[in-house]
Amino acid sequence: MTELFRMNEAQPRLLDETGQGVIGAPMDRPEGLLKVTGRAPYAAEQRPDGLVHGVLLRATITHGRVTGFDEGAVKDLPGYLGLFHGPEFVALPAQGMSTAAPLQPDGAVGYHGQPIGLVVAESFEVARDAAARIGISYDEVPGAPVDPSATPLEANSGGDTETGDLEAAMSAAAASVDLTYTTPGHAAAAMEPHAAVAEWQDGRLTLHGALQMLQFNKAELADALSLDPDKVRLLAPYVGGGFGSKLGISAEHVAAAVASRALDRPVRVVMARQTVFDAVLRRSETWQRLRLAADAEGRLTAIGHDDRVSNVADQGFLEPVSAATRFLYAAPSRLMRQHVSRNHRTPAGSVRAPGEAVGMLALECAMDELAERLNLDPLDLRLRNIPETHPETGQAFTAHALAESLRDGARRFGWDARPETGTRREGEWRIGMGLASAARTNLLIPSAARVTLGPSGAVVETDMTDIGTGTYAIFAQIVAEVLGLAPDQVEVRLADSDLPPSSGSGGSFGASSAGSAVFLAARKIRETLIERIGGAPNTVRFADGTVEAGGTRHRLADLVSEPLAMEAKIEKGETAKSHFSSGFGAHFAEVAVSDVTGEIRVRRMLGVFGIGRVLNAKTARSQAVGGMIWGVGAALHEALEHDPRTGHIVGRDLANYHVPAHADIPRALEVVFLPERDDEANPMQSKGIGELGISGAGAAVLNAVHNATGLRLRDYPATPDKVIAGLDGLGRA
Amino acid sequence: MTEIAFLLNGTPVRVADQPPTRSLLDWLRETRGLTGTKEGCNEGDCGACTVMVTDAAGSRALNACLLFLPQLHGKAVRTVEGLAAPDGTLHPVQEAMIAHHGSQCGFCTPGIMVALAIAHAQGRADTDDVLAGNLCRCTGYAPILRAARAAAELPAPPQMAADASALSSFIVPQIRPPETRASDAAADTAPPVFRPTNSDDLAEWYAAHPEATLIAGATDVGLWVTKQLRDLGPVAFLSGVADLTHVETRGKVIGIGACVTIEALRRAMRDVHPAFAAMLRRFASVQVREAATIGGNIANGSPIGDGPPALIALGATLHLRQGDEMRAMPLEDFFLDYGSQDRKPGEFVAAVTLPSEAPALRCYKLSKRFDQDISAVCGCFNVTVEDGRVTDARIAFGGMAGVPKRATAVEAALAGGRWDEEAIRTALPAFAEDFAPMSDMRASADYRLDTARNMLLRYFHDLAGRPVSVLEVSP
Repeated sequence: MTELFRMNEAQPRLLDETGQGVIGAPMDRPEGLLKVTGRAPYAAEQRPDGLVHGVLLRATITHGRVTGFDEGAVKDLPGYLGLFHGPEFVALPAQGMSTAAPLQPDGAVGYHGQPIGLVVAESFEVARDAAARIGISYDEVPGAPVDPSATPLEANSGGDTETGDLEAAMSAAAASVDLTYTTPGHAAAAMEPHAAVAEWQDGRLTLHGALQMLQFNKAELADALSLDPDKVRLLAPYVGGGFGSKLGISAEHVAAAVASRALDRPVRVVMARQTVFDAVLRRSETWQRLRLAADAEGRLTAIGHDDRVSNVADQGFLEPVSAATRFLYAAPSRLMRQHVSRNHRTPAGSVRAPGEAVGMLALECAMDELAERLNLDPLDLRLRNIPETHPETGQAFTAHALAESLRDGARRFGWDARPETGTRREGEWRIGMGLASAARTNLLIPSAARVTLGPSGAVVETDMTDIGTGTYAIFAQIVAEVLGLAPDQVEVRLADSDLPPSSGSGGSFGASSAGSAVFLAARKIRETLIERIGGAPNTVRFADGTVEAGGTRHRLADLVSEPLAMEAKIEKGETAKSHFSSGFGAHFAEVAVSDVTGEIRVRRMLGVFGIGRVLNAKTARSQAVGGMIWGVGAALHEALEHDPRTGHIVGRDLANYHVPAHADIPRALEVVFLPERDDEANPMQSKGIGELGISGAGAAVLNAVHNATGLRLRDYPATPDKVIAGLDGLGRA
Repeated sequence: MTEIAFLLNGTPVRVADQPPTRSLLDWLRETRGLTGTKEGCNEGDCGACTVMVTDAAGSRALNACLLFLPQLHGKAVRTVEGLAAPDGTLHPVQEAMIAHHGSQCGFCTPGIMVALAIAHAQGRADTDDVLAGNLCRCTGYAPILRAARAAAELPAPPQMAADASALSSFIVPQIRPPETRASDAAADTAPPVFRPTNSDDLAEWYAAHPEATLIAGATDVGLWVTKQLRDLGPVAFLSGVADLTHVETRGKVIGIGACVTIEALRRAMRDVHPAFAAMLRRFASVQVREAATIGGNIANGSPIGDGPPALIALGATLHLRQGDEMRAMPLEDFFLDYGSQDRKPGEFVAAVTLPSEAPALRCYKLSKRFDQDISAVCGCFNVTVEDGRVTDARIAFGGMAGVPKRATAVEAALAGGRWDEEAIRTALPAFAEDFAPMSDMRASADYRLDTARNMLLRYFHDLAGRPVSVLEVSP
């Protein structure tokens, strides 16, 4: 029995009444034991009998067509099993929530490093050796454009906004800024390289993969292989980080499935780290122009956000750079415009907080510059411009914590003690403080789940994944809270595509969307039990594995001698039309900048966020902290560099792509969640947290750099060479 | 390959059927099915494959991806699977990691557990350094640091000391002793593998096999295999060459054997040349420092290796050996040009000697990321001032030329002059005579030249009692 629930109106706050103290508690992740002992099995660690090994063969040209393979040098290698290629192979990963196979180019090459085939052997070493030795002939198209700044721009006008008269507002403004920012490409750089283990039985494919969204991935893989989706089963119980890079199926999944079917053997394909950089979707580089105008009181009269991004031809995904600019601040004149360069770099897609991660770097730094021109505290400028309703759609906001986050954070961080720009010095270090707003849209994505209550406890079943986010813990807490069980009486079964389909992990919507389906299924069991005992919903009390009504306590185990299974499905409804839901918050940073070397060291950071109901204080906090250090990476270190001739990523390893290491992150890194309920978001009153932490964090760091030095850097990351050149430009001593 | 034997999580294992360049990581995961140790990069950048290796000198964290099996002969390996007690009781750092949510996706966790368990046993609280080689993309690190702190006061469980005691009774099999047998006489066609136990044997064999590759820590040569897929041909593993691991002070000279690891060198330098030791802390992660050797760092000849600039500033002498011939030269003379060193076929770096006193030595490493990053510029300064005048100046840089290079024009500009800020500023233009650096991903030419000059000013202030810490900038 599946209950379809549409979020048509605000729901009663049941989780505030159940009184178990379980929801929101900082519960340890139940699978932590497996992870700290090395026993959590990731995709690459599946070892079915007869397993053979595949290595992806990849293009060494940028644009053209494969005209032939020469296996002469490898055919006699011991254990060589063959080369697989053909029309089913995919050139790039599917974009998030695609459900269709990504491009299947049948020999065409669109970027350097594109997977074009799979070499399989009894051992990984022979497969790798053969992949290096197979001759590939191409019909190459010379001169493929790989520099986004040198290729013609196409308008992507579908999302453009134009309200009022930006130019006029700029002319009439008491103060305005017109600034250009650039950000490089970014890599998700999840610690687990992409992997697949495929095997077939009776015409049905079972594939262990590093994947985030199984119901979509099942459809994508079935489409790629021209199969009925029921003939595909995906398993991903442990995924070593995603950050967008595992939203869709990628080359290794299709390749492993094709080779396994042909060989009638299980096939494993694991990407080397370099392949992950080359053949997994990156975040596009961006060019952004920010125009902000304000009256003398510091009220914005115009906001303009033009951006340019890139992707390979025909990819619908374009980094939504102005996503947060559309609703963060009010202004009568508004212009959001996007252009795209189609080129032959590694294709672009979603990387953690697509849009906000880079768009808010520019927006929030531009706000800081505007505040300076207005001679206004950057905190006050933001407080004066918080809109009453969504500036583009007119929707009411759900719980909106921006103002309180800014005020609360300023108090905690000691914002009052912010020095005058460029005045605080400790030896060669200049010290400064900065802040930025945080915002990330909150979504409800259709999700289903089944909860079964039996004599010994409950079982949760959904295809939802846990990519490190805490799903196993949170779902146990939801069911325990609703049914009055101890969390360890709830078994959580995830990431099997044969289970009820969920949102999957992505877009910060997983815990709230899939969790709401779990909540509704548990609530249905609760209601059924109340009926069974003839209780009144307002007076019953579930606790300690019992339910009490009218002075009588019933053991749940006695009420469900036959397991009671309920399935629920949720999707968005009227509240998504009437209201706009977003996480909000504020970032604060203090930095030290060496004027000898240009090194920037982050001394402390604080994030204050409103995310609706916190489902698990520990997992939520870690999501926020983890996001904030991505902000540090984007501001200071991370950059994909491309070979100007081929577009090939040159720093394609973890030594040259600089994700922050321990010593780059301050010990003083604090997160505060404001008490909040988002009644219109979902029946749990929760919001997403996975991407809010990154959104704006880097801008707080860069604004602190300005406060320390007087320097405005607009080409990120702010590496030491740019700092020194900038300081020289300011005419420092 | 030659048969080897070691302890794996306390149990003796023998390996005879594996190629000599099989990595410990591949062997653990693929041959033994011990998949707790993860492959995140297979090149020593991420630390997900960190294991504990114990020998007579103690226990250390190493990257399993950069360890060839023969390097383990006679040692003990403990993986994440061996951290808990046999009855399943978790190690305190494992308990704390769960409680403080230091593990999210869990993929970096096994390496972090091993690194933290070793540091815990050693009583180390400098978590930034202990975990510099363990990247995590989920947690923001703060929860991991909290876990480390929470476990610090608890005693190390017995299994952490078990390997050291087991090794004392571990009878290393002597089936055709692999340490001394050169297997090129064998009937098979496999290239020779040699495990010398002393430098005389090494010298004799290498003179006869000048085409061979010498493998000390394998932190560079390992990548030739795992990333460049090179067939190394004849190889000699130097980990057993006992007489090249000395750090000895005789009079005012310190002699350092070529096989001294960077970490052993850092410890040896802490009291004598603290500035050198502090720079070596940023040379690489603990896992790499525990494997890499100073001889390898020199012989490699990289213009961005962090060892040579400090050694040149110290006035180090390099000692080379070919067969029975020994020769010595100022270290800077060894580096002829990019990719070219003054080393004859069959000749190897045997030792480096340096003065035991250099109170004015300071070393500054500059990179984008604090740890786990290659220097954009590495500047090392050793200026002697008497009565306000410069009596001797040795200044050397990495990252500024095709080789580690002395700033001879700057030295000349300073020599004999007053040691004050004005005189130093007068010398700054000489940097452009010494160096014409290149622009690359790490830094622009202008920036390199600019910061090289600035480093001399930083050095002046440093000597004047205003030292700079890049690590600790907290209030």
